[in-house]
Amino acid sequence: MGNNDLMVGLEIGTSKICVVVGESRPDGTTKILGVGQAPSRGVRKGEIVDFETAMKCVHEAVVDAEQKSDVMIRSVYVGVAGAHIQSFNNRGCVVLPDDRDEIDEEDIEDVKISAREVSIPAQNAFLHSIIQHYHVDGQDGILNPIGMLGQKLEADFHIIHGVRTRIQNTIRCVKELPLEVEDVVFTALASAQVILTQQQKNLGALVIDMGGGTTDYILYVDGAVRQSGAVGVGGDHITNDISMGLRIPMARAEKLKIEEGSVILGNCLPGETVVLKDDSGFAGKEIERETLNTIIHLRVRETFELLKRTLDEESFINYVGEGIFITGGCSLLQGIDHLAEEIFEIPARVARAQTMSGLTSAFQNPQLSTAIGLIKYAQAVQADRPQRRGLTRIFSRFIPGMR
Amino acid sequence: MIQLNRNYTLPEREDDIIPIKVIGIGGAGSNVLDRVVLDGMDQADLIAANTDVQSLASSVAAAKVQLGRSITHGLGTGGDPELGFTSACESGDEIRAALSDARLIFICAGLGGGTGSGAGPVIAQSAREMGALVIVFATMPFSFEGKRRAAQAQEALGRFHQLADAVVCFENDRMGDMVAPKAGIHQAFAVADMTISQSLRSIVNLIQRPGILRIGFDDLLAALRGGGGRCLFGYGESDSDNRAHEALAQALKNPLMDRGRMLGEASRVLVQVAGGPAMTLSEVEILMRELNKHISEHTQLLFGTAVDGRMGARLSVTLISSLACETDERPVQNFVPVESFAPPPADPIVPAPEPEIAVVQEAEPEIEPAAAAPVVEREQVLQVEPTPSIQSLVPGDQVTESEMVEAEPEPAPEKTPPRIIPPKKKPVVAQKAGPEQISPKSESVVGKPKQEKSVAAKQEVLQFEPLTRGRFEKSEPTIVEGQDLDVPTFLRKNVRVK
Ligand SMILES: Nc1nc2c(ncn2[C@@H]2O[C@H](COP(=O)(O)OP(=O)(O)OP(=O)(O)O)[C@@H](O)[C@H]2O)c(=O)[nH]1
Ligand SMILES: Nc1ncnc2c1ncn2[C@@H]1O[C@H](COP(=O)(O)OP(=O)(O)OP(=O)(O)O)[C@@H](O)[C@H]1O
Ligand SMILES: [Mg+2]
Ligand SMILES: [Mg+2]
Repeated sequence: MGNNDLMVGLEIGTSKICVVVGESRPDGTTKILGVGQAPSRGVRKGEIVDFETAMKCVHEAVVDAEQKSDVMIRSVYVGVAGAHIQSFNNRGCVVLPDDRDEIDEEDIEDVKISAREVSIPAQNAFLHSIIQHYHVDGQDGILNPIGMLGQKLEADFHIIHGVRTRIQNTIRCVKELPLEVEDVVFTALASAQVILTQQQKNLGALVIDMGGGTTDYILYVDGAVRQSGAVGVGGDHITNDISMGLRIPMARAEKLKIEEGSVILGNCLPGETVVLKDDSGFAGKEIERETLNTIIHLRVRETFELLKRTLDEESFINYVGEGIFITGGCSLLQGIDHLAEEIFEIPARVARAQTMSGLTSAFQNPQLSTAIGLIKYAQAVQADRPQRRGLTRIFSRFIPGMR
Repeated sequence: MIQLNRNYTLPEREDDIIPIKVIGIGGAGSNVLDRVVLDGMDQADLIAANTDVQSLASSVAAAKVQLGRSITHGLGTGGDPELGFTSACESGDEIRAALSDARLIFICAGLGGGTGSGAGPVIAQSAREMGALVIVFATMPFSFEGKRRAAQAQEALGRFHQLADAVVCFENDRMGDMVAPKAGIHQAFAVADMTISQSLRSIVNLIQRPGILRIGFDDLLAALRGGGGRCLFGYGESDSDNRAHEALAQALKNPLMDRGRMLGEASRVLVQVAGGPAMTLSEVEILMRELNKHISEHTQLLFGTAVDGRMGARLSVTLISSLACETDERPVQNFVPVESFAPPPADPIVPAPEPEIAVVQEAEPEIEPAAAAPVVEREQVLQVEPTPSIQSLVPGDQVTESEMVEAEPEPAPEKTPPRIIPPKKKPVVAQKAGPEQISPKSESVVGKPKQEKSVAAKQEVLQFEPLTRGRFEKSEPTIVEGQDLDVPTFLRKNVRVK
C-alpha cells in the first residue's frame, strides 16, 4: 500500500460532497494535496435519502479529488451528520484487582467499556466515546493515568451515538463505490479539530456548523467535549422559507439568499428592493429587501434560540471563555455572528479551517471545515494508534452486543 | 384606434370565478401540485389523490383523497397500474365528492407508475361523468425508466385521450433537454413540475382573469388537442420599455417551443396577453405582428387579453398549442356527461365573455359583487352555447381592427374549428343576457356566488397556512418542541411577509 501517510476526509453534505486528500509529513504536519467537490443530491438534512444518486455524487467528488491530488483514493474518514445524533456524559469505573495497583492500558479500555454500559436506544450505535477526565481514587482532573498507582479508576466520557441503520447507510454508500471506511466521525467533532486550537478548547468554545441540512454543534470546556448534537435545520430551510415567502423557485431563493441575504434587520432603506434577474424566462420580480432579511432572520434566530435552550439544559455554556465559532456554509450569511452574539450573549465569530500547509485561500471556505477537519481527526487518530485496525474497528462498533 | 381606458380597474368580483379544480394523482401529480402552490394559485381548488399516504401527508394540497385504502394499505402500488385502477374504483365516492361542483377539472399525473397511470383514467372518467370539462396534464417517463414504464404510460395516455377533453402531454426526455446534461433526474422533474405549473396557471388565468377578450373553452380545447402530438408551450414576461417584444421573445425561447420553429406547424395557437391597466392595444398589436412572423398563414390564432391590476408594469405572453393532428376528435360519446349538464355535444361550459367587455364602459369599478342582476346574467351566459368570446385572427389581421364577436348563440362548434371573424370597425359586446333568458336553473345559479366566495376564502387560508414540506418531502420531519421546523418560521410565528 504505502499509502499509510495519506489521509482522506469525506463529507457527504446536504448541499455538497467534499473530499480532502492530505498527507502527513515526517515532521508531524499535514499537507493538503487536493480537494475534490461535487454538488450533492439525494441527501436531505445530512442523511442519505436516495442511495443511488448520492453514491453517484460521492463518486464524482472522489474522482475530482483524485485528479486534483494525483493520488488514488482507497480509504476515507467519513463524516456522519443528522438529527438522529445524540450525546450524553457518563462516568465509567473500574476497580483494579487486589494483586495490582498500577493502572495500565487495559484498565483504560475497561473503564471506557464501563462508561458505555448505559442504555442507549436499541436501534442506536456508539459513534464516539471521548475522554474528558480521569479520576484515580477520587483525585480529579487527571489527563493520563497510565502508570499511576491506585485502586479505583474512574473516567468521564462524552458519548456520541446515533441510529445504527443511518450510520450504516453512510458507510454502505462509501463501501459500494468501493472505498474502505477508516472511521466514521460526527461532523461537528471533525470541524472543531480544524477550527479550534487546543488553547481555545481549554478556555472553552462552542462550534456551530450550520450547513445545508443540519446545524451541528460541539461545546468544549476545559479542553474536553461537554456537549454535542445536531438539529435537522440548515440553509435549505432558509432557502425554502424564502421560496415560499416570496413565492419564487428554490433555485432563485438560494441565489437570492447567497447574493443579497442578511440576518440583520432594520438596515435597509424603506422600500429598498432587490430585482430578481430574468434569466430563466420566468417572472422577473421585485423583492423588498427587508422582507427577505426578515424571513432569513426569523429562521436563524429560531435555530440559535433552540440551540441555546438545548445548551442551557446543562450549564457548560457559562464556561465558554472563547465564545462561539460559526462555520459551515450558512456562516457566510451576512451578520450571523452579530445575531449569535445577541442571542447567546457571548462573543461570536465566523470561523474556517486555519492555515494548513497546501491549503490555498480558495479552500478557506467555512463549507469545507468538516472535510478538512476529518484530516485533522485522522491525523490525531493515526498518531494515537500506529497499527491500522481499519475495518475491524468499524465492525466491532456495529455488531450488536459488542462494544 | 381603440383606446383602452387607463383607469380601467378590475372589480375583483368573486362571482366571476369559474369553479376549477386541479387534481394531482400519484407521486408526480402531487409534486406538480406542490409546485403550483409555491408558484401561487388562488383561482382553483387543489386536490391530491394517491395510494401512498406518506406522499399524501406531505402534499400541500388543501384536499386529499387516499386511493385504495384497503387495497394498498397506504403504500404506493409499486408501479402496478392494475392496482392503481382498482384503488381508484374503490375510492370512487371520495373522488366524486372531492371533484364535485367543478366546471373545469385539470388532472396532473406522471404516467408510467401505478397510481397515475392506473387511477388517472378512472378519475378522468368520473370527472367527465360529473359534467366537468377535463384537461389532462401528463408526463411521459424518461426513456431510461425502461420499457415497462413506457408501455404503461402509453396505455394510460391512450385512455386519457379517450376520456378527457384535452390531453397536454410533456415528454420527460424533452424536459431533460431543458436542464444541464450533468443535472440529475430530480432537476429534470423539477423543470417538468415548473413547466406544468406554469402552463396550468396560464390556462387558469386565461379563464379566470377578467379578460378584455375572453377565451372560450372550446377555443382552449381546440388549441390543446393535438392527438398525442407535442405540446408547445411558452411563457414570457417583461416590464421593460419594450416589454411586448421582450415578453414574446422570451415565450418563444422556451425549449418547449423549440425556439418558435414548431409554431409554424401548429394549426391553432392560443395566445394570451396579460398586463396591468396601462397595457395598450398598440402593444398588443406589436406583439401580434411579431408573432405572425412565426406562424404560417394557415395557423389560426386564438387570442385573448386580460387586464389584471396585479400585473403592475409587467406584460406577459402565454403561447399554448399542440402540433396539428386534425383527426383528433372529441372524446368518444359514451363518456359524455349525463343529463346534468348543458346540451351535448357542446362543451359543457363556456366562460362568459365579460358582458361589458367594452372596456371603456366598465371603467368604474362600481359594480359591486352584491349586485344580483349581473350575477344572474353571467351565469345565464354560461348556459348558453359557446359564445365566441374569443377572437380568432387570421395572421395579418390587426388587433386594432379586431373586435368582439357578435353573439349569436351558435350550434355546438364541436367539430367546427373556431371561425375566422372578419375584422369590423368597432368592438361589440359579445352578449348580454337579458332577464328573459333566465333559465330554470337560475335558482341554483343565484346561489352560486356565495359558494364561490367560500372557495376563495379557503384559498386565502392556503396561502398563509403552513402546509408544505416542499424540499423536505423525502426527509423525516424535523419536529422539535412540538413544532414542525420544516414549515417556514415566518409562517409559524405568524409574521406576514408579502
Ligand atoms: N414531473 C414529475 N414527474 C415525476 C416525478 N416523480 C416521478 N415522475 C414521473 O412520473 C412517473 C410516475 O411516477 P409516480 O408518480 O411516482 O408514480 P405513481 O403514479 O405514484 O405510482 P406508484 O408509486 O407506482 O403507485 C415516473 O415514471 C416519472 O417519469 C416528479 O417529481 N415530477
Ligand atoms: N455566501 C453564502 N451566504 C449564505 N449562505 C450560504 C452561502 N454560501 C453557502 N451558503 C449556504 O450554506 C449551505 C451549505 O453549507 P455546507 O456546504 O456547509 O453544507 P453541507 O455540508 O453540504 O450540509 P450539511 O452539513 O448540513 O449536511 C447551503 O444552504 C447554502 O445555501
Ligand atoms: Mg456540513
Ligand atoms: Mg407513488
